[in-house]
Amino acid sequence: MNPVAESTTTSPALEIEHLIYRYAGATSPALSDISLSIEPGEFIVLAGGSGSGKTSLLRAACGLVPHFHGGEISGRAIVAGLDTGENGPGELADVVGYVAQDPETQIVSTTVAAELELPLRFRGDGPAQRARAVEEVALALGIPHLLPRNVATLSGGELQRVALAVALVTRPPLILLDEPTSQLDPVSGDELIWLLRRLNEEWGVAVVLAEHRLERCLAAADRVIAMGGGRIEYDGGPSGFLDWAVTERPELATPSALMFAGAGIEPLPTGVKEARRILRSREGAAPTGSASSPERRAEDGPPTGPAAAGPEVLSVNRAWVELDPGDGPVDVLRGVDLSIRAGEKVALMGRNGAGKSTLMRSIAGIVDVASGAIETPGGVALLTQNPGDFLVRERIGDELPGAAGEAALEAVGLDLSPDRDPRDLSGGERQRLALAIALAGRMEGEKLPALVCLDEPTRGMDRGLKNRLDELADRLSGRGTAVLISTHDVEFAVSFSDRVVLLGDGEVVADADTPSVLSGGWYFASEAARVFDRPGLVTVEQGIGLLKGTEH
Amino acid sequence: MKKLSPIAYVPRRDTLQTASLGPVALYLGAYLVVCFLSSDPVVIVSATAGAAIAGYGCGAGRAVKFSLKLGGFLALTMVIVNAIVTGRGSTVLARLGDWPVLGRVDVTAESIAAGGVIGLRALGTMVVIGVWSACVDPDRILQAVHGVARRSALTATLISRLVPLAATDYARIGEAAALRGPAAAPVGRGAMAHRLLAGSLDRAVDVAATLELRGYARQGGPAKARPVPSRWDRRFRLAGVILLVVALVELAFGSGRFDTYPEIGYEIGSEGFLAALAFLAGGFVTWRRGARR
Repeated sequence: MNPVAESTTTSPALEIEHLIYRYAGATSPALSDISLSIEPGEFIVLAGGSGSGKTSLLRAACGLVPHFHGGEISGRAIVAGLDTGENGPGELADVVGYVAQDPETQIVSTTVAAELELPLRFRGDGPAQRARAVEEVALALGIPHLLPRNVATLSGGELQRVALAVALVTRPPLILLDEPTSQLDPVSGDELIWLLRRLNEEWGVAVVLAEHRLERCLAAADRVIAMGGGRIEYDGGPSGFLDWAVTERPELATPSALMFAGAGIEPLPTGVKEARRILRSREGAAPTGSASSPERRAEDGPPTGPAAAGPEVLSVNRAWVELDPGDGPVDVLRGVDLSIRAGEKVALMGRNGAGKSTLMRSIAGIVDVASGAIETPGGVALLTQNPGDFLVRERIGDELPGAAGEAALEAVGLDLSPDRDPRDLSGGERQRLALAIALAGRMEGEKLPALVCLDEPTRGMDRGLKNRLDELADRLSGRGTAVLISTHDVEFAVSFSDRVVLLGDGEVVADADTPSVLSGGWYFASEAARVFDRPGLVTVEQGIGLLKGTEH
Repeated sequence: MKKLSPIAYVPRRDTLQTASLGPVALYLGAYLVVCFLSSDPVVIVSATAGAAIAGYGCGAGRAVKFSLKLGGFLALTMVIVNAIVTGRGSTVLARLGDWPVLGRVDVTAESIAAGGVIGLRALGTMVVIGVWSACVDPDRILQAVHGVARRSALTATLISRLVPLAATDYARIGEAAALRGPAAAPVGRGAMAHRLLAGSLDRAVDVAATLELRGYARQGGPAKARPVPSRWDRRFRLAGVILLVVALVELAFGSGRFDTYPEIGYEIGSEGFLAALAFLAGGFVTWRRGARR
């Protein structure tokens, strides 16, 4: 047995003792006295807000900290018997796989097959070993059809799957994932989580998954580690975590747990299936509905848009948009009809590639429609997916000069010194600043453009940041501006929007008030909706009301 | 929706794509040599046509079209510039008077012909490079380089990954610049370049971290690239050797002549004629029976 194989069967998958780490130039440590042990085959969810130390912990576990990122470190991290202080990421590649948030920067080859072979070549495996390992990992992840593809042609979901396959191809006993679902739609995100669970069960791989949307992955976890301020605040089972989170850190608690806790029901469920089981076992508890209930069948046909007051600020009439990815033109939007009125808050949802971003770019006028018409009589501002793309200067005052700049900053609720560097701002502040840049000069006095569009602003955001985004949308809506936000985050859509437009393959497949749309499906449904399966029930508060018997 | 460059490598099971790197380099290298070095317009045109036929034969029609367009534009520019800048030749077609800096400008048939040959060379070179780019897997080139020059391979890997990432960043930042409000400071070239450079450095760090995690820095170096057996290797090796010999013979001992100054004179020699035929026919080496184009 080789030393690596021997160590992996006899040692914990990961053992950390009193680890303290500070990035070079940082004033406070990113990790403070971390001690933990992860046994082979455990499935661990790493919870915590932005900046809590999740990414630093994962980097320390794969050797990037300190070997790649530098800084000051004390304590020890041992992966499958190998000390990360003495072994760099290259030496640890056999025993730990790492998947980062952005799949684009994790791919270095031209084809998927070459990418999967790369770590095996670096390890010195022979051609036959490499061929077999690539074939096996491709089959395990359901990507054999992608092997000959050029990586530049892959979607975000496919890229993330390939990145996971590369991390697994050397069959490491431990795999670390840093918010791998943040850029995926609910369907692809759920698929990835359950794929990880299957690999965990069938291959015995220990999984450490850092994630913000805990409702998505808690049911698959054996254990939860919650971090805050670089320290471990909780380490235990998922049920215990929910008990702790509901009282200590409600922003980390799942919607089901909040509903049950609000209604005084115990134990708190870790997922939809368990919530339903608990409800069934309680005599006289609120009954759940069924997908084939008469109420549901009465709604046959796609839901249509709610009647809203106020002047129309967006009119999309039979809009077709054609884009050419390189191998011929494709209809990305196919006869879209959409109308939005002043002050409305609309969530635009749909799977990756459904046409959400293209629709927003067409509305903003940077993509031409092939046929049909789009009108925005009161003006429009669009914030694209990466707010950093708007920030090109080193002073806020240089980005937004003059009175118009000040008015735009005030409109988004930012009160910052013009001398501050945009790169020093928090994620939420950067987003607001980028929006102010998009708004500057499009306001008449204090009057905002009639429509503000934000393309997937919730990517990688913790709940605190989402709440602030929700407040910003309220602020804009309160001033008569309609807000259109595309998002994959169903729970955010529930809290933010009055109305949901669901796109499928370039067509509007549903357009109605939020409760109607998000209580009527499997994937595009809130956790409360999935637990109760009742038309119109989507929020935690409605769930608590139903459980307490005050809502029917 | 992601857009693939017309000359980006697209994995296919065609002849050039599946053959080994050496024979392919020999075969396309012969075309490159003759396109770049020959002065005989018939030979260059034949070699360009042969390279285009070779590209079509292995499914790289898009790359050929793109290279022909780009090369054609380049060739036309060279003809125009040469016609204006070089006043040599006795057959004056147009007298354009005195221009600033250039002085008296006479457009002659000879300067157009001379510019045409330079343009043809550029066109042919572009087509050969386009076919190479679309049909030869860059990973295999990097693997080959890695064995001999590790640092160069690292640099090449980073660059090969950073170029498409920088292109994506440029498109995104450009789009964001177009979406800025009219009162926000406009994004000039300097600010854009600064932002792109800073972004590229961040990207380079991420890609380098990925290479670290893959085990790039391991002692001992990587295993040799898996030899991919191909039934087309012998065909390309043979064709490459023949074409290279024909090209060298034509370049060294060609009895034909093409004069541009003071008057145009052209006479194709037997070596040139044979070379033209060989390079035209050689394009069909990439074709195989029953393949869909």
